[in-house]
Amino acid sequence: MNSAITTQAASADDVAERGQLDSVWKNNPGLVAWFSATTHQAIGKRYIVTAFVFLLLGGLEALLMRLQLASPENTFLGPSRYNQIFTMHGTTMMFLFAVPVMEGMGIYLVPLLLGTRNVAFPRLNAFGYWMYLAGGLFLYGAALTNTLPDAGWFAYPPLSGPEFSAGKGVDVWAQMITFTEISAMCVAVELVVTILRMRAPGMSLNRMPMFCWSMLVQSFMIIFAMPAVMITSTVLLLNDRTIGTHFVNPAEGGDPLMYQHLFWFFGHPEVYIIFLPALGMVSSILEAHSRRGVFGYPALVLSLVGNGFIAFGLWVHHMFATGLPQIGEAYFTAASMMIAITSGIQIFCWLAMLWTGRLQLTAALHFVFGFIFIFVMGGMTGVMLASIPLDLQAHDTYFVVAHFHYVLIGGALFPLFGGFHYWFPKFTGRLIGERLGKISFWILFIGFNATFFPMHAVGLQGMTRRIYTYGADMGWGTANLLSTIGAFVIAIGGLVFIVNVLRSLRQGTVADANPWDAGTLEWAADSPPASYNFTHLPVITGRYPLWTAKDSRGIVTGLRPDRREVLITSLMDAEPHHRSTLPGSSIWPLLTAAGLAIGLVGSVAAFSWYFVMTALGIIGFIGWFWPRPPLDVK
Amino acid sequence: MKRGVLLLLPVGVAFAQQSALDPAGPYAHRIELLGAFFLGLLGLIFLVVIILALLSLTRRHRGIDQEPLEQNHRPSESTERRLTRTVGIAAAVTVLILLGLVVISVSAGKATSTPGNPDPANALVIEITGTQWWWQVRYPNEDASRIVVDANELHIPVGRPVLIRGTSNDVIHSFWVPNLQGKRDLIPSHVTTDWMQADHAGRFRGQCAEFCGLQHAHMALWVIAEPPDKFETWRAHQLQPASAPADPVRQRGQQVFLDGACALCHAIQGTAAAGQVGPDLTHFGRRSTIAAGTLPNNKGNLAGWIADPQNIKPGTRMATVPVKAEEMQPLLEYLEGLQ
Amino acid sequence: MTTARDIDVSQLPAYDISNQSPLWWGQLMMCLIEGSMFCMLIAIYFYLRLSVDVWPPPGTVLPGITLPSLALIPLVASCAGSYWASEAAKKGDRRGMMLGLGLNLALAGVFLILRGLEWKSLNFTWASDAHGSIFWVLLFLHTYDILADLLMTAVLLVIVMTGRYGEKQRIGVHVDSVLWYFLVGIWIPLYAVLYWGPHILGAPR
Repeated sequence: MNSAITTQAASADDVAERGQLDSVWKNNPGLVAWFSATTHQAIGKRYIVTAFVFLLLGGLEALLMRLQLASPENTFLGPSRYNQIFTMHGTTMMFLFAVPVMEGMGIYLVPLLLGTRNVAFPRLNAFGYWMYLAGGLFLYGAALTNTLPDAGWFAYPPLSGPEFSAGKGVDVWAQMITFTEISAMCVAVELVVTILRMRAPGMSLNRMPMFCWSMLVQSFMIIFAMPAVMITSTVLLLNDRTIGTHFVNPAEGGDPLMYQHLFWFFGHPEVYIIFLPALGMVSSILEAHSRRGVFGYPALVLSLVGNGFIAFGLWVHHMFATGLPQIGEAYFTAASMMIAITSGIQIFCWLAMLWTGRLQLTAALHFVFGFIFIFVMGGMTGVMLASIPLDLQAHDTYFVVAHFHYVLIGGALFPLFGGFHYWFPKFTGRLIGERLGKISFWILFIGFNATFFPMHAVGLQGMTRRIYTYGADMGWGTANLLSTIGAFVIAIGGLVFIVNVLRSLRQGTVADANPWDAGTLEWAADSPPASYNFTHLPVITGRYPLWTAKDSRGIVTGLRPDRREVLITSLMDAEPHHRSTLPGSSIWPLLTAAGLAIGLVGSVAAFSWYFVMTALGIIGFIGWFWPRPPLDVK
Repeated sequence: MKRGVLLLLPVGVAFAQQSALDPAGPYAHRIELLGAFFLGLLGLIFLVVIILALLSLTRRHRGIDQEPLEQNHRPSESTERRLTRTVGIAAAVTVLILLGLVVISVSAGKATSTPGNPDPANALVIEITGTQWWWQVRYPNEDASRIVVDANELHIPVGRPVLIRGTSNDVIHSFWVPNLQGKRDLIPSHVTTDWMQADHAGRFRGQCAEFCGLQHAHMALWVIAEPPDKFETWRAHQLQPASAPADPVRQRGQQVFLDGACALCHAIQGTAAAGQVGPDLTHFGRRSTIAAGTLPNNKGNLAGWIADPQNIKPGTRMATVPVKAEEMQPLLEYLEGLQ
Repeated sequence: MTTARDIDVSQLPAYDISNQSPLWWGQLMMCLIEGSMFCMLIAIYFYLRLSVDVWPPPGTVLPGITLPSLALIPLVASCAGSYWASEAAKKGDRRGMMLGLGLNLALAGVFLILRGLEWKSLNFTWASDAHGSIFWVLLFLHTYDILADLLMTAVLLVIVMTGRYGEKQRIGVHVDSVLWYFLVGIWIPLYAVLYWGPHILGAPR
């Protein structure tokens, strides 16, 4: 009888081996060890928890905005404070919550799904997290020194330029983006290499789980899109503001419209960067809760890849009102509508799964249904906005606010919450409460629609965006009041979710490795996974390793248990190529991030701090790469 | 009819004077029709998808027992084949619908961005310059004596296409009068253009639609569409300079205006006041609002505005000019008398 | 107890110093990121140029082509040092690594001196106008990347010189060449845009 790929003990040898693996892979207790951790479970969880804190902060900001807008000519917030709060709300949600939380889920789940023990670059992983945390602290630290940015999350010049936004607020915003983009790029690089070179033997690309495909496409999108926002915020805007360049200053040959092109060249792929992992989560949840394999795997993969490519060709649809030549704009209408095809095909495949599966109506599946309802509605308004004449009425009104909240909350947040409920036993070892989960779903669903549906109408009735108040005779009061009430209902739903999490952590049913009887590899590891994920890496013969008969499963032997050793496999068919020893815990990622952070924060005051940053970065690099025993590995 | 459906939503009484759902001209009307079509078609598609998704819940226990789902986690070959065909057809239908929508949209785009009757000589040109936080209005003319300058209000003749030529003095603004047309950004160092036309007389409110700073919320404007003869009367009147005040109270008021800081920013044709920083006040008394649509134009509001502009529009560029108590009433009389 | 389906990997090498190493692939991804950034900067250059009638703006004296063209020679030649070191890393040849890295650093140093001279000859700054801004930013970012890579190469050289290093450091030396080839390679189109662009695109349109 061969040993299973679970960590159930089969022999005394196995027990000894597991003990050795654990001592090599586990994170020791103690503060320094905590700061030195480089395992993907630890870092993934940190990303998720930190992102959740920022979600709460962004939500608080939204509630403050809604309180101000609940009635006409309200005086709860003045214009300056309101402008700061909506800037912080957008910036927090887009940069500090949405992308990092998806990265965190990816970092935690991808190695488990691929059948390996860590990501390809563990220290880079840790470094990316510290940069993200530093960026968030930097932005919110500005609140303590009253230098909050107030030019919107997109900060169009000339409003955000040196002449019309004096002070350090916009500088802080611009440099915070450097932190979060460096973090995202680190995660993207390591996920690409992990997914392409560290899959378990036999996991050819067409056997790879859909969530890994979505993280792969998303990571490539980050690689090509994020440099644009770093250039926009740091090279163009921050330099114009601090050292007198003229990129967006029309008086000396610059052009504010160029900023918009570059920002949206990043900005549109950004929303797909947020959205694609959620699509992978939907496939994962549906596989388990419809008890059938994914339908149309090649179509789903090609649609994901198609989404990734087409997303780069849409950006001008954010600029239809700027008077660009019509012929060019028409191309962007066509592309913006065509991307509905790739999204639509995925919806059709999932409907096929719903129709032919044996559905288990868990809380997670509720969130998938919520996703279908809300995201498809958002997609429909998206097709409307792709049409230039319609966009010219709806652009910069609450209609657009409604649209993007429908696609972002429906398309990303609902699948994410579904994923939280689905993978909760894997992360924590306990099942999350199903009843409270469904209740929280309904409250969130109703609250969300109450908040954002009225905005479609009130936007077309003239209510523009980013206004801190409106006249009593405009007729927008009732809709706004309804939206505010809805926002508080969402908050209640969020609270119920938090209560559910805390209760389940304490008294939820203890879960075994595979409570859903799902087919993918993460359910072979313990709940929660051992520090080394799997005693033996699996050999893969199909798309659903846990749904193949036990006696046709194989394992990988021969990896050293006294090192953090993993297996590197080939690109297409995952044939074993060589072994590799991954680094253990190290304090250098934190130290390097701290050094870069000092320099980047200082650069907002003076350009010379970039050189401080370089010097500290080199010191970090030296500590990071200085040789440590064992020096020669056999 | 679709508009009526939307008005049934709990949004209170629709304020028809700044609404894309209450078109008063051919462009806005065409856009509304396009929108209604999109809403109908896409709404239908949405309903179909939702119904299909919900119907799947009723299929949970029906007819799948004979499928090999539990063993292979995969329905039979024939089921998968049927599904493939269905999804393929759905995808093909999607492509065709979207292609159709692209064509319809591009054609509507052409129709709403060119003047109805292709007679450029008949078109009226109005230049709008956005500035924080009000609108400079200028009716250009080759004959310099026939250039009309105003602020925050436009008059246009019914039934004639109007070309709005726009730019900005400072940050990006956006000119939007939803009853008449989609919006057009006003970008410094660029000139953007758009066509506008009203089909019946009326007053239509517009608002800046691109975040432009502290008082973006209070940057509104009014478009007054009137029959061509009344429009010409208005234009002729606008060309007149301010008549000299006849009564002593207003004369005193004019003195206060000219002696004080007011003339540094504001211009009144026919007086020495030639400031270009703030709105032209030559015919201020005829405007319906103060501070770019923020308050109705009456003596009480005007007094409050002059005495403490920061209280009404915090951040406004209008300076707080101290006016002595006994000077205020004459000043108000003077300004309101600038008809 | 193993079965026929099990795979034993104990005989596979414990590391790999080639383009199959994950670190090599990671470095490639980094080059894609940097490449995107430089491509966008080139796009900015052309956008700015096409927004005005006269390019470069009046008052700008374009730098001579001689110095930057000459500087290409040590820059491209330094790749030979990089190649030497990376091949030596594969074979575990310590002397080869030191000489290769040293040659790379020396030739790159010559390049940097020439670039410094060229920089001093510019009669415009980043704050002069839009052309000055994009020219300086492109030049600065590329130079900064070169300097950063050289500092890292120097650290690697020191490590090799201490004699106490393992296969991880050899992978590092091998992979360092990828970044260097990229930085040299990306300079060719940048050089063409910055120095030949204005002549080809013409001054007044």
